[in-house]
Amino acid sequence: MNTLDKLTILADAAKFDASCASSGSNRKAKPGALGDAAAAGICHSWSADGRCISLLKVLLSNDCRFDCVYCMSRRSNQCARATFTPDEVAELTINFYRRNYIEGLFLSSAVYASPEQTMSDMVDVCRQLRSKYAFNGYIHLKVIPGAPQELVAQAGMLADRLSVNIELPSAASLRKLAPQKSRQGILTPMRQIGEAMSNYAAERKKSRRTPKFCPAGQSTQMIIGASAESDLHILTLSQSLYTKMQLRRVYYSAYIAVNSAPNLPMPATAPPLVREHRLYQADWLMRFYQFQAEEILQATAPNLDERLDPKAAWALRHFDLFPLDINRASYEELLRVPGLGVTSARRIIATRRVAAIREEDLKKLGLVMKRARYFLSINGKKLVAAIPSHQDLLTAMCRLEKPAISHLSPQYRQLRLF
Amino acid sequence: MEPVVYLYDGTFAGMLHAIARAVKDGGAVHAITPTHRYTPTLFDTVITLKCDADQADRLLQYLQNLHPLAANLAVYAYLSGEGGVEMQMYSFVHLCLRRGKQALSYESHSAVAHLKGLFHAVSREAHRYKGLIRFRILADDLQYGPFEPHYNIISLCARHFRRRLAGCRWLLHDLQRNSALYWDTVDLQPVEVDTDFAAYVALHGEVPAAQLSENEQEYQQLWRAFHRAISNPARHNPQLQQQGMPQRYWKYLTEM
Repeated sequence: MNTLDKLTILADAAKFDASCASSGSNRKAKPGALGDAAAAGICHSWSADGRCISLLKVLLSNDCRFDCVYCMSRRSNQCARATFTPDEVAELTINFYRRNYIEGLFLSSAVYASPEQTMSDMVDVCRQLRSKYAFNGYIHLKVIPGAPQELVAQAGMLADRLSVNIELPSAASLRKLAPQKSRQGILTPMRQIGEAMSNYAAERKKSRRTPKFCPAGQSTQMIIGASAESDLHILTLSQSLYTKMQLRRVYYSAYIAVNSAPNLPMPATAPPLVREHRLYQADWLMRFYQFQAEEILQATAPNLDERLDPKAAWALRHFDLFPLDINRASYEELLRVPGLGVTSARRIIATRRVAAIREEDLKKLGLVMKRARYFLSINGKKLVAAIPSHQDLLTAMCRLEKPAISHLSPQYRQLRLF
Repeated sequence: MEPVVYLYDGTFAGMLHAIARAVKDGGAVHAITPTHRYTPTLFDTVITLKCDADQADRLLQYLQNLHPLAANLAVYAYLSGEGGVEMQMYSFVHLCLRRGKQALSYESHSAVAHLKGLFHAVSREAHRYKGLIRFRILADDLQYGPFEPHYNIISLCARHFRRRLAGCRWLLHDLQRNSALYWDTVDLQPVEVDTDFAAYVALHGEVPAAQLSENEQEYQQLWRAFHRAISNPARHNPQLQQQGMPQRYWKYLTEM
């Protein structure tokens, strides 16, 4: 089998990995080495599904021993199988990188011989890249559940980011759908990486020469819609991953029904893309908008409203707190106004220090008022003639959402007349 | 006194000098423009300036000391090449003299809003091209990266690649302005690109096959295969793809 065929098979099998980030690491260029890493991350292309491509995202192999019910590459599926040699992947990475196709490598793999062997080959790819080719760009390495501690420690010295997929939001679902993986096998390396990161960071405070361990942190991914957990359950889990395990990112991946099994959605069921989108919005609220999972959802209504973004839903539930005065509200309060983001809130605060904001300044500040106007006032003056009733406001907010989610679900797609 | 039109030579230093001079004169200013963009009208009082690098440097240093962003606003406004930025800069410098560093936070001031907007537009394009430039490896192992940016950002892109690809020889070629920068692993210098070659590249969006290195086309094919395979058909969403990568970038992209 030639490289082209292998690449086609193994990139195709890697397309279910949601992560594409190349950010968080500021690996500086070194004399004699190839490449550096941009802390903000750089997107190099966009694929036909609209997701950005920044890393060469491939599996080392899709020849899996495991039989996870939800997975395309499971042992009992009939599909084309291929395995790269470590040399092939390293050479491909270097050649793509020199042509500026990619920001680096994202290497994952099916478990082919044993978890130890797989992980050791993956670490070998990184070692070749770093020493033989003096590659200094971004590497994201997936940690195979059940990989030995020693290899995980080596991986952290070579890669910029590590990730262990948590796969499913609860231990029960994991037992049911991925019988060969255990919760413990996933959480142990995750904890090990977290501890090593904070140990090395503490050492670096004492001596600048201490190498960085996994400088872009660790991330994880879970499948949404293959099992029955509520959004509240998922968000609470993410929150604890962010606070207790210091994860940089949790990715949500809408389950695409590829296999038929009694405890899975039927094949050809539409993937829950709108739900995934709402979960990402809620995730952003927790990471950048100082929201807690319990504020976004309560046990009485444990799922996100698909028609409405979670911040607007929160603001409508707490409408008695509004309208806020744009010249007086604190940064934290401004962040809670639907339609205002981190940039807008910061800009408002900075401008206010120089001059009070007037109604005619809103446009110059680049503020988008279509949602925010119901929730803000300027020096006591409301921005809309009359605040609509709760029901009308809800309808108006939902209508504003439609364009953003129309392409995600056939249900929201409007009928074209011509 | 009549409002005055200041004309300068179209260089960055010339622009700064003209602004400094206009501020120093203290009279009413009608316009500040490069000579080649100026259409004479009957009643203008015109002052044609000869660039004084010293004056320009002093203004830039003043802005730099105020805040690095203030100096960057001047640089990026110049790189944007848009008409009228000189007057915006003139009014911004006035604001700085009155308000000091605070001027930068005065986002509801029209000059500040305009200049910051341009700064973001230019740096966004430069950032996008850091990812969207595709190098072709030519027969002599030179990496050739053609592109057609809207703003004059070749120097910003070169600054990125001289760090990242310090050990490789590369050439960035802005076909919109026909300017090129060549990095020989030690120095960065402007060069002229052969006109026939440039015309071919501009027409086809690709380098003549005869001049490519041996395995260049093979890697282009691998990249195209990867690009197709990594897309998930169940999520097909060309609208979103175009949003990230508008069509004006497609011409020199190997995969599109």
